[in-house]
Amino acid sequence: MATVELKHISKVFSNAEKKANKNIPAEATHAVSDFNLKIADKEFVVLVGPSGCGKSTTLRMIAGLEEITDGELYIDDVQVNDMEPKDRDIAMVFQNYALYPHMTVFDNIAFPLKLRKTPKEEIKKRVEEVAQILDITEYLKRKPKKLSGGQRQRVAIGRAIVREPKVLLMDEPLSNLDAKLRNQMRAEIIALRDKINTTFVYVTHDQTEAMTLGDRIVIMKDGFIQQVASPQDAFDHPANIFVAGFIGAPAMNFFPAKLERVGDEYYVQVEKLRVKLADEKCAKLAAKNVASQDITLGVRPSHIRVDQGGDELQGTIEVSEMMGTEVHLHVKHNDNVVVIIVPVAGSYEKYSKYLKHDQKVGFSFDGEACHVFDAEGKNLEA
Amino acid sequence: MKNNKLKRNAMPYLYIAPTVILMAGLLITPIVQVIRYSFYDNAFVKKNPLPVGWLNYQKVLTDPVFWQSVRETIFFVIVSIVGHIVMALIFAHLLNTTMFKQRTKTVARIIYILPWIFTATVISVMWKLFFQPAGVMNYLLGFVGLATKNTEWFSNKDIALYVVTYINLWSGYPFYMISVLAGLQGISPDLYESAAIDGATSFKSFRFITLPQLKPILLSLVMLDFVWTLKTFAIVWTLTAGGPMHATEIISLYIYRTAFMENHFSLASAAAVFLLIVCGIVAVFYTRQQFKIQED
Ligand SMILES: Nc1ncnc2c1ncn2[C@@H]1O[C@H](COP(=O)(O)OP(=O)(O)O)[C@@H](O)[C@H]1O
Ligand SMILES: [Mg+2]
Repeated sequence: MATVELKHISKVFSNAEKKANKNIPAEATHAVSDFNLKIADKEFVVLVGPSGCGKSTTLRMIAGLEEITDGELYIDDVQVNDMEPKDRDIAMVFQNYALYPHMTVFDNIAFPLKLRKTPKEEIKKRVEEVAQILDITEYLKRKPKKLSGGQRQRVAIGRAIVREPKVLLMDEPLSNLDAKLRNQMRAEIIALRDKINTTFVYVTHDQTEAMTLGDRIVIMKDGFIQQVASPQDAFDHPANIFVAGFIGAPAMNFFPAKLERVGDEYYVQVEKLRVKLADEKCAKLAAKNVASQDITLGVRPSHIRVDQGGDELQGTIEVSEMMGTEVHLHVKHNDNVVVIIVPVAGSYEKYSKYLKHDQKVGFSFDGEACHVFDAEGKNLEA
Repeated sequence: MKNNKLKRNAMPYLYIAPTVILMAGLLITPIVQVIRYSFYDNAFVKKNPLPVGWLNYQKVLTDPVFWQSVRETIFFVIVSIVGHIVMALIFAHLLNTTMFKQRTKTVARIIYILPWIFTATVISVMWKLFFQPAGVMNYLLGFVGLATKNTEWFSNKDIALYVVTYINLWSGYPFYMISVLAGLQGISPDLYESAAIDGATSFKSFRFITLPQLKPILLSLVMLDFVWTLKTFAIVWTLTAGGPMHATEIISLYIYRTAFMENHFSLASAAAVFLLIVCGIVAVFYTRQQFKIQED
């Protein structure tokens, strides 16, 4: 059993040093603001957002490495705001691994056990078990310096899981690895989860990682939570424009548009293209009594069709990226670049006339694909 | 072509030649000379000294004052080394904490380095004033009722060596402190955070992270300090000149007195050869240690 609950947590860095040294006004950094989240036992929660949005700070507050400016933190319903890191029974994997350079791999993994005065026999047994799981048995006698990035990563994970902590914190553990290794380690973390059964809080700036790993993802921006949802939910029903643009790759396309209400039906109009929203969306909007208004319309690249109907939008292909089974078109439309994914598996010829540089294309989309955001960027459906 | 290559290969040696020649002239020659003197009778003093084999060594090794000097030197060196390292660790940690503001630390650092920028003579004079019978030390001790006001710190043969060693500690620590401070600043803060999460108290962090991380630096410092303290001369000479009754006559002073006050250059040379051998052994270890650091 290990739940983690953050209640109105915030963190302000005062920058007092800056003030003392220079004659500039001290500018406090609000790294995290009013963060509320309840993490269930054995849940895998991913904090995701662009660099500087406060993910690491949040994680470090859970770990006890950073003082909490305001709010309450509970682990297993015990308030731990003032508890030392060593008493919180959490473990953490750092971005740059933070392995002890003077210790062998064995000693690195054994260190947390040694500090807890675990008997020697038991230490040996558990370290070897963990080494087995992570496939690093043959490196146990080596120093970290003599390991590759991926191996170091495994050692860092080994050191974190060896004492079976209540909560396992990971701060961008894969970002120092090359792309191929990253994919491999990601799969291994998923596999690891089934083996060690603990509560995970995982930080990443990479939305793919967040989507593939998390039971729930917490999307952050400028210290504020934007949305807490399952990956699928965040993808299908982004709470606002920021989430819509951040989750999913390539990113969602946005168009200035008009939302028009006709009875209980809703239409979006972009230039001459008029699309009736899907029934389900209409129902939601109608239930909230949303009126006709100027909106930002969001459509995912995979939901746009290259099309030669009558009222479709017009653009010029700037870049065409062949990805194997699909082609990513970057189409210049007014002042925007619209990205369109065209599936071409087995039928490249059919589309080949569209896929050329400088080619004019028309495109459109269906009512199911439309995400409507109000002037503040909030999803009108939500 | 070939000529050119030869030139290129010779170039680096040409660059270091001036230093090597100077070193050979100013260091190697005297060393060789001293070794030679140690096998002659009355070198320097007589016109035609006679070779006497190991006689000078025999005389030195049977001189009780020499052995007293060796004992005093061992005490002086070991206490200085241990003291310097302990002081360096403590002061460097004080200067490295996050408890003080940066400006406070900068000022503190300057104050802590002060003993280093004075020459031995200046330091001697200050400590002499401090420890003279009517000086600050006795005044303070009298104030708390701990000692008589007239303790003769330098002329009491039972305590003079302690006082001299104590002064040597204070005059020498800044170099070690700065080195340790540099070492501390080179340790990644991540390691401490990681250790804190792994369950380490601050003492355990020091024991399992700081000390092992500083180990190469500390080893180098111990060896440097060994050689430097072993050949300390100026500060002890200006404080006590080896007295009272040879009580502070560490080996360098013993050699100096034998040579230049008693004109037994051959005996002094023999004693100096002992010092040379001991320093040589440590130098070899130091060099090895340096190679090991580079390899790691
Ligand atoms: N020790 C610190 N002192 C001052 N500001 C900090 C400190 N650590 C982080 N910050 C600031 O807090 C904000 C959030 O940082 P961080 O949590 O590291 O972001 P992320 O991990 O999401 O990239 C950033 O603006 C950063 O500059
Ligand atoms: Mg970060």
